[in-house]
Amino acid sequence: MEHQDDEDLKPTPGGRVKQVLKEKDVRQVLFFFVLFTALFSILGLWAYPRWMPNIMSKEMRGDESIMIWFTVISAPIAGIVLAFAMRSFIDIQRGDTPPEDGPAISGHTPTVVIWTAVSFLFCTVAIVWGMTEMNTWSQDAIAKESNAMVVNVTGAQWSWSFNYPAQGITTHELNLPVNQPITFNVISDDVNHSFWPVELGVKVDANRLATTVVHVTPDKIGAFEVKCAELCGIYHAYMETNGQVESRADFDNWVSTVKAQGGAQ
Amino acid sequence: MASPATSQSKTAVGAVISVVMGILVVAAVGTTLHAHSNLDAPAGYAKVNGTIVAPDGKTYPHAFINDNVFADAADSKIHGSSGGHAGWPSYGPYINLVLPAHTYVTMTMHVYDGGEKMNTPYFASVVGTVGGTINIDGKNVSSLPNDGVQHTFTLHGLPTSSQDPLFVNVPLPKTPEGQQDEPGSPLPKGYTVTFSFITGGKGNYVWNCEYPCGDSTYQNFGAVMGAPGYMNGKVTVI
Repeated sequence: MEHQDDEDLKPTPGGRVKQVLKEKDVRQVLFFFVLFTALFSILGLWAYPRWMPNIMSKEMRGDESIMIWFTVISAPIAGIVLAFAMRSFIDIQRGDTPPEDGPAISGHTPTVVIWTAVSFLFCTVAIVWGMTEMNTWSQDAIAKESNAMVVNVTGAQWSWSFNYPAQGITTHELNLPVNQPITFNVISDDVNHSFWPVELGVKVDANRLATTVVHVTPDKIGAFEVKCAELCGIYHAYMETNGQVESRADFDNWVSTVKAQGGAQ
Repeated sequence: MASPATSQSKTAVGAVISVVMGILVVAAVGTTLHAHSNLDAPAGYAKVNGTIVAPDGKTYPHAFINDNVFADAADSKIHGSSGGHAGWPSYGPYINLVLPAHTYVTMTMHVYDGGEKMNTPYFASVVGTVGGTINIDGKNVSSLPNDGVQHTFTLHGLPTSSQDPLFVNVPLPKTPEGQQDEPGSPLPKGYTVTFSFITGGKGNYVWNCEYPCGDSTYQNFGAVMGAPGYMNGKVTVI
């Protein structure tokens, strides 16, 4: 009879969860977990699309997509870490009387399995997504290579210059025709720079004696900025210039104008 | 044994002292860097003298400014520069320039240094001047040979929507090897280079040399090329 009473008192799994949820600590952690997860999800889904610069290529669209969804995926992780941090902060102990450590939970197999599986899943999603995106770009670049317009990009302290070999001009501003596949051959004449036409979704190192090739197809008419993203000396901050994606007719007119000026602008 | 309240007070005082010391260190570093920058170097002011009709048909105020490029500190000191590192070339007497807005600026430079070969051939071309040319001792040119440049005056700024773009690149011709000082002068003959450009609205820009005239580090962009006050400066359009 006594044994039967013990069985009756043993909580069911659902009952254990209810019991745990009644704990003040747990409820606070859950509250902060939901709060921070929601905040980071809003940051990714609502704020990023508004904060991102003008998107002027498929590559930049891919960059934005990765930023948004990686933020959303990582929101629960950030949420649980910050939830425990906030709970600890609220319950901070003052003076020289820290509480005793709680019971160790190492060796709890279900926790370890879930922990490892979830981490593996997140990492796999990030790796597969990134590699798929890179492969898509590479395939796209190979398919369009024969039709690509070449621009030789040179970084020098503290200006960019752009040589268009087929057009026979060199300029300090980067004009590109819309929907035209572009191949950038990027190099530096002195220290390391980083070629970053922001709105085109390209950022690649400009190294001395080593040409880096990168492809992009701008698909929207408008202005963009070209920056140096590698700290390169005292006027690094001024190593910026203008770019313009324009119609084929406008681009051809611009080339003609530069040629009429002697081929340099 | 200290009471919890005393321990708490000590912690708070320690935190405040740490923050104050951090602020002092940052302030000291900032003050030192500012003292060694060229922000307070003497600025050359372009002086307006009359008006001129530009090729675009518009009439602009016409401003003039002169500067020099010296081969070393001894030459630059004679002409009023601070001198600086003995073996380094420098612009002078002005490192920082102040130019009026919406003005046709004519700049005359007397240049006395030698040269070798450009890293980037593009900067041997004249860009952004009126007519796309510069005048060297009476002769108009639109570019120099890649191995005929001593320094460049390359003026540029941030492509921000808050100020007009301004890009000027002027290659300065190198003096012949072994050129001797002129009789009665501490300087060789050199060249006189004159060029004009039109400023936009108010804004902050910089200029720097694109000829690799530094030491052997960073493809000759080390030493003088990376030091403020020799081969780079500020340009303020007011």
